[in-house]
Amino acid sequence: MESKKLPVLPVSAPPEGSVPHAPLGEGCFLGETQRPKAPKLREALATIKNWFRANSLWVMAYGTGCGSIELRPLTTARFDMERFGLAMRPTPRQSNVLIISGYLAVKSLKRVIRAYEQMPSPKWVVGLGSCTINGGMYWDSYNTINQLDLYLPVDTYIAGCMPRPEALLAGFGYLMEKIKKGEANGWHHYLENLDWYKENQKKVITAWDLPDYNW
Amino acid sequence: MTTTETTTDTLRRRVQLWFGPQHPGITGNMSVQAWLEGDTLTQGITHVGYLHRGFEKLMERRKFIQSFPIVCRICVPEPDTNEYLLAAGLEELAGMTGDIPERGTWIRTLVLEMSRLQMNLMTLGGHIGSMGLGAAPNWLIAVRDYVLDRFEELTGGRIYHMYIIYGGVRRDLPEGFGERMEETLTKIEEKLPLVDNVIFDSSVFRRRTVGVGVVPEEWVDEMSLSGPIVRAMGLPRDIRKDFPYLIYPELDFEVVTTTGSDIYARAWIRRQEIQQSIDLIRQILARMPEGPYCAKLPNMLTWTIPPGQTYVRAEATRGEMGYYTVTDGSDKVRRIHVRGPSFVHGVALLERMIPGTNIADLSPLMVSLQVCPPEIER
Amino acid sequence: MKTIVDDIRTRFIVEWEHQQREDLRQIGVRPGTVVPLLGWLKLHSPFVQLTHMSAVDWIEEGELQLTYLLTDPVGMRSLMVCTRIDREEATMESVHALWPQAVTYEQEINEMFGICFPGSPRQGVPFILEGWDDMPPMRRDFDTVEHVHAHHPSRPGREHTDPRAYIGRVFGERGFLHDDD
Repeated sequence: MESKKLPVLPVSAPPEGSVPHAPLGEGCFLGETQRPKAPKLREALATIKNWFRANSLWVMAYGTGCGSIELRPLTTARFDMERFGLAMRPTPRQSNVLIISGYLAVKSLKRVIRAYEQMPSPKWVVGLGSCTINGGMYWDSYNTINQLDLYLPVDTYIAGCMPRPEALLAGFGYLMEKIKKGEANGWHHYLENLDWYKENQKKVITAWDLPDYNW
Repeated sequence: MTTTETTTDTLRRRVQLWFGPQHPGITGNMSVQAWLEGDTLTQGITHVGYLHRGFEKLMERRKFIQSFPIVCRICVPEPDTNEYLLAAGLEELAGMTGDIPERGTWIRTLVLEMSRLQMNLMTLGGHIGSMGLGAAPNWLIAVRDYVLDRFEELTGGRIYHMYIIYGGVRRDLPEGFGERMEETLTKIEEKLPLVDNVIFDSSVFRRRTVGVGVVPEEWVDEMSLSGPIVRAMGLPRDIRKDFPYLIYPELDFEVVTTTGSDIYARAWIRRQEIQQSIDLIRQILARMPEGPYCAKLPNMLTWTIPPGQTYVRAEATRGEMGYYTVTDGSDKVRRIHVRGPSFVHGVALLERMIPGTNIADLSPLMVSLQVCPPEIER
Repeated sequence: MKTIVDDIRTRFIVEWEHQQREDLRQIGVRPGTVVPLLGWLKLHSPFVQLTHMSAVDWIEEGELQLTYLLTDPVGMRSLMVCTRIDREEATMESVHALWPQAVTYEQEINEMFGICFPGSPRQGVPFILEGWDDMPPMRRDFDTVEHVHAHHPSRPGREHTDPRAYIGRVFGERGFLHDDD
């Protein structure tokens, strides 16, 4: 899993005669061109940005597995996730946290990858339950993947089968801290190692009919 | 003239639309491939398999006692029916049905009713949530949490309990459980009139549901429908009465029926069954006998069951849940096939009902059929 | 229940029968008899509902068993019709014309056991699996662990304990339930 220096995005070759656009890597996610030159200002800006990001996590409402049943009580008055700035959003285009709520069947993994790539950056992945970590009780099932971080960059794991709502809140708290420190950079990692991720994904999804990257 | 025709043609063009798997209105991780003409659905195909874990294969590799953590994950919101059916099927084949102590049977019934109660609370919330109204679902899910607290106290788990085992249940009722359960039931009952106000007296809910999603009565035998769908037609069919199991014959309850067979009628059935479950829990706790809660079991590591096959059934909130169990004399099952009610309701029935439905009614329709994808594909 | 089986016996060859429970009777018939029998039952007996349909792999005998469970919704009883077909050339007549929801059952059995139901509308259409290129997974000779090792890498460090050894270590050799007396 070696990082490459220059991120290369596998964009399809532009049709002949079209005006070539700037490489998508620049100003897009690592954004060298947009960063201010003064290092102190840059640092301060990054801190502010991360603080804002950490306090408005919008979760995509996609129950990929059984853990999603504990997400529903989180929205009610008893646990009230909105006091932490967490909100449920119905579409990937509006959300920046993807919760993999448990085991992923191969058929589901394909849809999850598609949804993840459609989410706007910055975005984070939370793996819920033991089955995302090492297969959990489904370690010998022929249809579920055993280790999520081979296919998607996971920022936080919440262990348990299934984790309680309190554990979920604690996990989100951990993710917020990580974002504030600027350490939750899974989406950078995904783009930097896109070839490696794609290779893993294609190994397990035999019916691969997705584009190389779903914008 | 030509222009008008073209416009009409464009309007009447069939549009293909994928409803799910990532959609807030779908009942779980599944999808419906639908075709639209205007905003009317003309055809729909259910696609499942997003949650397939191969449980039936895994159970063939596990010892009998190791199957309990697996079966409760077959239906996430209502796991106890699965646990009971696995236990009942194998107990019948092992010939130990008569050994289960009376108290064990009563506690089993208590757990099943608690499970039905919390599932119905959740589905009733889903009914109105699927129309975009947010308050009532939040209240109902919040009171459901109190039932989960009682589950946690009784079994140690909020969602998955693994509480029913062969020969009875895993542990006795804790001290003072009855009083705390009564408190919980009172809390729920206090909230229900408020919920009724928002759901059944709401003109939005009425106008969206009355006369929508009607299931004709002749489909019942043709497709072997069960559960609230049948009771909403006025047929008093309930497995707890028809094929009595556990202590249901001794309990005093009536099968809830209504007429109309539409989404409103099914929601109303669920509302009445919440009250019914509350009454049944009170009855069970009041009449709970003393004694042992579990039979003496053989060594679970070497337990073998003689060859045989059987089919046991129980009334889940969604309809008839059945386990087809085959043993071959070894220490593992030969085959367990789970017959979830959604297998019929979610695929054959839903696909038959989709043509002619308005696109906005698809989500309420799926909630009212209570399609639960994990039990379709297991 | 007895009378209906006697009635069946006058019309069809019943290989074996067994009263499993008061409300559940099982009969075994030859594969060719199944569809005429089910059609007759649906038309002329109270067993009008097809509640369940399933398959069992008896690999030792080289046979696959198909089970149809019919229910009498008025008399509250069930009849289980079992038949055995050859494992290698697994083909069976379809019952989807009698009960429309049988299409789903047959589609699933086709995918999971490789039994072909000619004429059933969704044969060969993937139902649960996607891009599956191995043998049908519910057959007994399909090894799920081997498949997992070949396709789904897992995180190193996971221990697999034999249940007997583990329970023996924790609870004593005799098991863990009610062993204290």
